[in-house]
Amino acid sequence: MASSFKTLLSSDVAQTRTLLNEAIPITGSIVSGTYSDNNIKTFSHNMFESVYDYPYASSSANHIFDLTLGYCSGSGLSGSSNTDHTKKIQVYNQMAQVLAGFDTDRKVRVFDEDGQLGGGAKLRNCLFINFSRLLVKDEIKKGSFTLQYFASGTFASPSGLTTIQDTNAQNEYRVNSPAGEYGILYNSSTPVGLIYYQAGVVVLSMATSSVSGVSGSTSQIFASGATLDSSGRTPDMIITGSNITAASDAFRHRLYNVSFNNTTELNSTIYFCRANTSDFNYSSNPTYLSGSKIVVKNATTDEPVSYITTVGLYSTDNELLAVAKLSEPIKKTPSTEFTLRVRLDY
Amino acid sequence: MAFLDNSGDIILDAVLTDAGRKRLAKADGTFKIAKFALGDDEIDYGLYDKTNASGSAYYDLSLLQTPVLEAFTNNTSILKSRLISIPQDNLLYLPVTKLNNVASGVAELSSTSNNVDAGNLIYVTADQNTENTNTVSGLTNNTAVNPDVAPFKNTKYTVLYGLSTKDSLATIRIDQGLDTTAIPPSQALDSSLIENQYIIEIDNRLGSIVTPVGDKTTKAAISYIDDDNIASYYFSLANDNNVYVSTNDDQSTSGGTQVIAGPRGTTLKFLIGASLDLQQSTYLFELLGATQSYTNKAGTTSTYYYIDTIIRVTGAQTGASLDLPIRFLKYKSTP
Repeated sequence: MASSFKTLLSSDVAQTRTLLNEAIPITGSIVSGTYSDNNIKTFSHNMFESVYDYPYASSSANHIFDLTLGYCSGSGLSGSSNTDHTKKIQVYNQMAQVLAGFDTDRKVRVFDEDGQLGGGAKLRNCLFINFSRLLVKDEIKKGSFTLQYFASGTFASPSGLTTIQDTNAQNEYRVNSPAGEYGILYNSSTPVGLIYYQAGVVVLSMATSSVSGVSGSTSQIFASGATLDSSGRTPDMIITGSNITAASDAFRHRLYNVSFNNTTELNSTIYFCRANTSDFNYSSNPTYLSGSKIVVKNATTDEPVSYITTVGLYSTDNELLAVAKLSEPIKKTPSTEFTLRVRLDY
Repeated sequence: MAFLDNSGDIILDAVLTDAGRKRLAKADGTFKIAKFALGDDEIDYGLYDKTNASGSAYYDLSLLQTPVLEAFTNNTSILKSRLISIPQDNLLYLPVTKLNNVASGVAELSSTSNNVDAGNLIYVTADQNTENTNTVSGLTNNTAVNPDVAPFKNTKYTVLYGLSTKDSLATIRIDQGLDTTAIPPSQALDSSLIENQYIIEIDNRLGSIVTPVGDKTTKAAISYIDDDNIASYYFSLANDNNVYVSTNDDQSTSGGTQVIAGPRGTTLKFLIGASLDLQQSTYLFELLGATQSYTNKAGTTSTYYYIDTIIRVTGAQTGASLDLPIRFLKYKSTP
């Protein structure tokens, strides 16, 4: 019986998973001045600011990350007289409850410097970089993150180019976060923050301040004497005396470079479309016949021949669900057999 | 010694069609790939040069150099012609499907020689005004198309009544078989070449398929309607008791009632009903169509809305297909 469809058996279908990586370089000049800050979107609520890769009023602009800052209520720098005190606590708690979770008393955990929740130094005054899903895709590739910035000097003359990385994170990462896997960011060998790979969030220590009984972080990203804004504020003064937008600006202006690799998880189904010797040697193409005669044959003894340009994947009721094209026609005769591997990505 | 070519497998990336995406979004389990087909839409087999003096390697050089288009994602726009698997390699003829325009009571295409419009159409009326098949109070003959004049009458009727389908003067009939005089019709068509199932695709906004026998008003069951409102109807020789599909046992030579010159397989008959939208509104006519003047039953000229569309008939097994050009008509005004 003639047929134009061939049923796919279970042995003709396979599932695969592929991890696709892209390099994402973010040059500091885009972040700190190329577009005269027209690519920085600020909000009247002053809870965060958004960085775009082009003036954000343009439809060509892509959101690349958000910057915000916060401290926990147990921070030595916390004080009701601080600028936007409530908002800074709100931001910290929001990020901490999502990324660090809750303890057994249902209290929000504070960020832990080494990822060992039981004790040790805590990150109580944090700058957060929330990367856009457009850049992170499914996750940041472990061990690929690098951030360079000027850690010291004045606002007018920043200096001390510093590099922090998630060194060796592909072999040493943490899994005790409700938001997935995370690694520790190091300045040389000193821990200065955390990176949450699936969430696409970087947490940086802005100050080492401690409270009685529990130490603060062992290090901070800026030199304590660095003046981060035009008013000459040091990191501690920025945390207490600037609103979140101004604090984010202070960090942004010292950013030199960010780079990482993202990861996209591709789940594919591969359909092995097997054209055996007796399959698909004739065509229903209107040009295949002249009257009813096959134009590519002179005699019954000639081999039938057809040319494949397209593969269609169909439902049981013959509705075309997916289609794949060949780059050039392939000749099919009874002397040839093909297995066309058709991959459908999800 | 050279390496052997091991590139036997060909890896292709597939894209979902709009129908595939719709089924995936429905998340009701209907997105299930169960079979595949191969197509050759871009190939013009007329370029196959089997007399090329340079030898057989040059016969299909033009075909192999055919540039291939990227995939369309509209499920109804691609894989129009599929490759066919037939066990025998020694076939010199393949069956075709043809509109039977010679048998008694069948519809034919209007002729360009009528010089009224583009011609080569089958007309379907959309409402009572345009048909006026019976004496209906309040209707006059100057609203109805005159089925006895061109283009509605060629050698046979070219107009079907889309509202009063039971009063249609003709039925659409498609015949299948080997259209060649090289093999006489008295010879039986090989069973592998007999088409047992037909698929009719029609724009569901415009019309539907209606039974050609009995009350001639019963609408056929739709198999499915895709995201572009194209309804697919399946008619099988085994299931519909000779209502739509029947075996063509006529072995007479071509001429009086047959359009297939050689061995014959099956016939498909159907009527077309106008959709409720076309019957009760002019919206789709104004959106998709235009207007044209035709002779009315009163012998003068009236203006009619029309929409041109295609009904595609495909053999589910042999893949042979036929596109029928259809024009839906609706009375607009009399000058």
